[in-house]
Amino acid sequence: MSAVDPLAWRMPPRWVLLVGVLSIVCAEVGGASMARFKVELARWARNAMLAQPTVHGLVGVRDVDERILDEALVKFDAGLRLFHLHAEGMGLVVIATATVAATLARPGVARRMIIALLTVGGAGYPVGYLVWSALIPSRGLDNAKAIAEWLVWIPFGSAAIVALWWLAGLVAWRMWRA
Amino acid sequence: MSGPVRRPPLAVVLVAIVVIALGETAGAAMSRLKPQIERYAAARVAANAGAHGFSGSAEYDDEVRDRAIFAAEAGLSFFHLHAEGLGLVLFFASTLVASAVPGRIARGALYVLLTLGGLFPLGYLVYGAAVLEAGRDSGVELAERWILTPLGLTAIAGLLGLLVVLARRRA
Repeated sequence: MSAVDPLAWRMPPRWVLLVGVLSIVCAEVGGASMARFKVELARWARNAMLAQPTVHGLVGVRDVDERILDEALVKFDAGLRLFHLHAEGMGLVVIATATVAATLARPGVARRMIIALLTVGGAGYPVGYLVWSALIPSRGLDNAKAIAEWLVWIPFGSAAIVALWWLAGLVAWRMWRA
Repeated sequence: MSGPVRRPPLAVVLVAIVVIALGETAGAAMSRLKPQIERYAAARVAANAGAHGFSGSAEYDDEVRDRAIFAAEAGLSFFHLHAEGLGLVLFFASTLVASAVPGRIARGALYVLLTLGGLFPLGYLVYGAAVLEAGRDSGVELAERWILTPLGLTAIAGLLGLLVVLARRRA
């Protein structure tokens, strides 16, 4: 067994790499699906919204309703785009930052916590955009956003942010000690 | 060419992680504190009415104010986007430098260029603040001339340098 090179990167646990790559794959598939099924997705969302007129404040006057439907469809589409964008980026962030933690944090609870928070928070956060989009037709714009915010964005986003600053503090500490 | 994937110096790793963390935090702030940010931006525009060329005509002034607030928010949004991206670029490019560039001086020069380039997103924070303090056009010009262009060129120089070294090693 060769000695560990202190200047070499150490791989994070395999499950972390799997989650990071899965996030990137989902983003790619999401981007492709948005392009391929754009019309079908818009039609589904529109029909679902028309089935819930009170949720969206539809009044039966075409001029008014079309404006409301257009705005909701723009947000529905934006949610899918933001999922695509964030899942690609966060997949890479998970892999890069977990590699830093696996290399520079001492083995133990702190390292495991940082890696778990980075991975779960980083990969979970973009799912909030899918939740937001999926809920817009049935729950309306504001409710869908509130649910996605409290169920996904705040817990998972906070986990990722806390872990990143924890990791930054740890690297700064290592620098100071060195 | 194969071998261990080496890590760059801790200072470079720290900058990459801090830039990514700032990007994430800015994204969260944009989402959670939008009304507060808008209020603050409107207050700063009002406090610098001269720099924004307010005329006293409510209709015109409202349009100028809205454009300035929009530009400041765009600065924050660009910061979020670029910080996440460039933090990763710095991480991966500096890992390539550590692993594949021979010669301490060449490595050191590339680390400096890439790390300064990694600070490029901070220019968008300056962009947002300068728009509010100095007026939209002057603020944008200030950020572009003194921060975004020099740091952007530094990042490009670092990446081109890495490209040249990798191509020469291959040859």
